[in-house]
Formats: sequence, structure tokens, C-alpha cells
Amino acid sequence: MAVPKRKMSRASTRMRRAQWKATPPTLVKAIDSNGKVTYSLPHRAKVVEDSAGTPLFMEYKGRKVADV
Amino acid sequence: MPTPTKGPRLGGGPAHERLMLANLAVALFMHKSIKTTETKAKRLRPVAERLITFAKRGDLHARRRVLAILRNKDATHEVFTEIAPLVAEREGGYTRITKLGFRKGDNASMVQIELVLDPVAKKPSNKSAKAVKQEAPKAAVVEAEIAADTADMIEEGSPVVVSADAVVADAPEAEAEAVVDAPAEAASDAAAEEEAK
Repeated sequence: MAVPKRKMSRASTRMRRAQWKATPPTLVKAIDSNGKVTYSLPHRAKVVEDSAGTPLFMEYKGRKVADV
Repeated sequence: MPTPTKGPRLGGGPAHERLMLANLAVALFMHKSIKTTETKAKRLRPVAERLITFAKRGDLHARRRVLAILRNKDATHEVFTEIAPLVAEREGGYTRITKLGFRKGDNASMVQIELVLDPVAKKPSNKSAKAVKQEAPKAAVVEAEIAADTADMIEEGSPVVVSADAVVADAPEAEAEAVVDAPAEAASDAAAEEEAK
């Protein structure tokens, strides 16, 4: 089995790890009739809630697609 | 004909993939809508749609070919007798994939894949759509002019005769106002319909 010949320096470890970056997700902004702003993922079904905040079903393009 | 898949098979090997796709297709035909991962759904779509195409053919040979893939008599019967008549008018695109969310354990993208069993909504072909677009503004203008004329007539208080399948105002002067109102409404309704088209 191939094994590293030398200890990896702290600097080179840190230089490698410095390239690990998080990317912000693409979001769609929607403002409902009450002026409440919600952000959601594009091209994904959304959960429809009633006024009490209980999740009812998943909805996409005005069509019920799945249960929660 | 589905394009051969590049890259690794689903599951452990080609046989495992065939079995998984057959089982997924059986579940889809029995339940009409199933929740699975995006990768599996995308592989399942061409398989399921090809089976439905066989079912639309409807003969014994097609039935045996479907049965050879599904290995399930109930599902084969279901797709030939229940599903095929519902999609008889549809020219392909028998399934719909809707992305839902991400699975908790492995963050896999989950989707709902369902059979599209609604009656086909006829889309106007490109030529007729263009013709409608060109005609619509003109028609709307004409209707608007008619409506404007009617409005003028109302101000003058005289009985009016308006086309567009409206009531002809041959009535005595006592009914004149009522009759004048009706064509005006009809004209505005017609204008609204034209815009909707």
C-alpha cells in the first residue's frame, strides 16, 4: 500500500483547507398578500401551511404533488 | 428508444439495476405516484414511458414484452387496462417529476414521480397561435370602437343596433335604455374574451 513519505506541514494542510468554501444557495424571494417575505429553493415543491402553521401538503405550480 | 445510460449502474450491477427499475415501475403503475430519489426517478422515466407505449399498442405480443420486464401480472394488467386508455391521446410524456426536498439521512434529492393521467389540453399549433396574436389586437380595437360608439349613443339616448351577436334594438323608446345597456356589456365581454385568447 502506498504511504506518505513525509509529514504534511501545518501550513500546507491549512492552505489546502483554506480552499474549502461554502457557497450561498440560490433562493427565490416571494412576498405574500400579508407582506410576509419568504425565501425558497427554485424548482422545488413548497410546503403549504394553514393559518396556524400546520403543514398540509407539498405544492408546485398550483398543483398538489405530495403529502408532507 | 431510451438512450443507454453512461456511468455506473444503479445498485450493485446491471442485473440489480434492471430489477430495481422493474420494481420501481411496478410501484409507479400500481400507485400512480411514488416518492423516490432524483437519480432513480430520472432512470425510471424512460423505462416506464416505454412500457406505457407498449401498453397503448395493446396486443398480446406487447403484453408479453411488458410482462417480461415487470415480472408482475397485476401491474401489467393495470397498465394495459387502466393506464393505457387514459393516455391514449397523449403523445409521450406520460410521467411528471417534481422535486421535493432533501432526504435527512444522506441529503439525497427526493422527487415525486407521477403518471400524467389528466385529459390532454390541446395547444394551438404555432401558425394558429401567431394568427391569433395578430388578429387579437385588431379585434380588440374594433370592439373598443363599438363600445365607444355605444357609449356615445347612450349619451344621446337613442336606440342602437350593434353587431357581435347582440340583441337588435327594435324595441320602443321605453325599453331603449335597457337594450342599449345590453349590447354595451356584450361588446365589453367580447373584448375581454378576445384579450383572453
